[in-house]
Amino acid sequence: MNLHKIISGSFFILAMTINFGFFYGDPTVLVEHSAFELFAAIIVNLVATVLKLGDRTQLGAVLLATSIVADIQLIASATVWAFAKYVMSDFGIEAVVAIVSLSGGALLANVVSVILFIGDTLKSKR
Amino acid sequence: MNEQIIWIVLKRLRTPFLIIIATFSISILGLVLIPGLDDSGNVYHMTFFDAFYFVSYMASTIGFGEAPYTFNYEQRIWVSFAIYFTVIGWFYGIGATVSLMQDESLKKAIHRNTFRRHVKRLRTPFYIILGYNSITKSIIDKINGDDYRVVVLEKNEDKIDELMLENFYPNVPAFMGDATKQQMLKIAGIHHKNCAGVISLFENDMINSQIATICKILNKKIDVIVKATSPQQVKHFKNMDLEHIKNPFDIISKRIFYGITAPHIWLLEMWVYGHILKLRKRDRFPKGRYIVYGYGRMGHAIIEGLEKANIEYITKDLDTQEYLKEKNTTIFGDDEDIQSLIDLGVQESDCIIAATKDDLLNLTILNSAKQLNPNIFTIARENSLDDLNIFKAAKVNKIYVVEKLLADVTYNYIARPLADLFIIEARKKDEEWAKVIVNLLNNITGMNPMYFETKIDEEHAHALSLKLHDNQAVSLANLRRSRANREKILNLVYLLLKRGEQVYLMPDSNMQLQMGDELLIVSDEENYDDFDYIVNNIYELEYVLGYSHETN
Repeated sequence: MNLHKIISGSFFILAMTINFGFFYGDPTVLVEHSAFELFAAIIVNLVATVLKLGDRTQLGAVLLATSIVADIQLIASATVWAFAKYVMSDFGIEAVVAIVSLSGGALLANVVSVILFIGDTLKSKR
Repeated sequence: MNEQIIWIVLKRLRTPFLIIIATFSISILGLVLIPGLDDSGNVYHMTFFDAFYFVSYMASTIGFGEAPYTFNYEQRIWVSFAIYFTVIGWFYGIGATVSLMQDESLKKAIHRNTFRRHVKRLRTPFYIILGYNSITKSIIDKINGDDYRVVVLEKNEDKIDELMLENFYPNVPAFMGDATKQQMLKIAGIHHKNCAGVISLFENDMINSQIATICKILNKKIDVIVKATSPQQVKHFKNMDLEHIKNPFDIISKRIFYGITAPHIWLLEMWVYGHILKLRKRDRFPKGRYIVYGYGRMGHAIIEGLEKANIEYITKDLDTQEYLKEKNTTIFGDDEDIQSLIDLGVQESDCIIAATKDDLLNLTILNSAKQLNPNIFTIARENSLDDLNIFKAAKVNKIYVVEKLLADVTYNYIARPLADLFIIEARKKDEEWAKVIVNLLNNITGMNPMYFETKIDEEHAHALSLKLHDNQAVSLANLRRSRANREKILNLVYLLLKRGEQVYLMPDSNMQLQMGDELLIVSDEENYDDFDYIVNNIYELEYVLGYSHETN
């Protein structure tokens, strides 16, 4: 295992854990979901994506794909937040649920990444 | 196809992306955390959206001002730090992208992809030409067109630039690469279904043989046209099952042989290459004593021809490099040289052949010989095309330009296979036969006729192929009638008919045509146009066949 693998691996897992932290809580109550956590999740996900850029292996390509999916979901979630706050100027239940469930989708993509990552690690040990 | 480029770009952009993400996120986070004051003096925190918006225009140095409210000093301290932080990251990203554009390996990859795409798109048969020089340039000039395209591989970048400046039409894809590398040949499309062959005419026989071997391994179906300058090499290539070995010295030797023993066969060959169809006095090779000056590869080949022709000759070896070292000049003609010419019997000889490697030396040898014996017939070997004018001005009787010869022969083989075949067949005949043919052609088609090659198929003879499909019998004589008046005869001669592997020289005019026959027709443009019209237009064809008069 080399340094690059440690860094990219930790970012993948961190992306999942932070995202889980944001996602966890009542999906209809916004105060249970911190904006800072969403911000951190987006940044960590972007870094995880960039770390997989130009990786020509099969696994690298799949990880890149899943993390791009997570990016899209999280950015969509943040966009809905900004839209609801500034354009609609009131938070309906619908907007809150959309924000949380979009991040839930991203969490799913993160979980897939981590499973793939673990699977590859196990395979290489054998 | 573009995979490689994308991967290179993405990998290179990793660090700039990471730096931009890091600088942006730190600046945004700082702005969100630092409390500010709104217009009415209340404490507020910027939202992530406000911060993202502000940092985005700050980092890109657009700078719309402080938003949503005027900043307080805590915020300004942070922003002044963030400005340098983000702008540096941003500029680094731009710089990295620009330097990536100029990256040599990326450029090469892009160039390789363009080349590969161009080759892939070729829809007509094409030849891969290895090495770009004056020989291959004249081959490109001749064959690059509608029927054939060419692709060039060249080791030297300057030569590639030269080729680009020529602006060939249609475009000639060229790529820098070592022709002896399999990978390069593959990129040049040796496996492409339209690849007709590889032309390798390098000076060095070793390289040619290496290339021929690789090509034969990579693709058995294609033609490999290769140059060989020694009999051993020719033999080696024959063993490899190569059919098209071009030995320029052997060609010269054969021409001299036929020029001496059968001038009309020589004339027919030269006519195929663009000479007029008439034996002028100055074209006739003398039959007396020959001097071969220069006994290298060409000298050896010539002597073989002279011996076959039963001609008395004398040879003199001359090493050009040694001559240069000894006398410090390549101008022949000091007392010692003149004496050597006299010793060789230049005054009693009828022909002198200057066959050394050096053009200037060849020219000066002939000049000296001419001074000693004004009636002597002079033949020069010329290696490069650049000096052609000097040779012409010097009134040398025959000039053999090695480069041009190779180009012409290769071109004929590729683009005029029937004419090539005709030369081979004609050489098997004797002088009397050739004389009859030349007379016949002169009588019917004049002193400087052209020749055309055509094939009886749907594309080249539409009407005729319809008739042949109906099992109509059409003979060669039928098609020789004028479409203006079928009682009159067109001025054209069928020189050769090829049916499968069978070759008919001067086919009988009662011969019935079949689908797939290939014809070599001698005529002028006007008469050939008529012929072309007749075989393609059903009404004209029925007229010349005398359709309305026949009962069937």
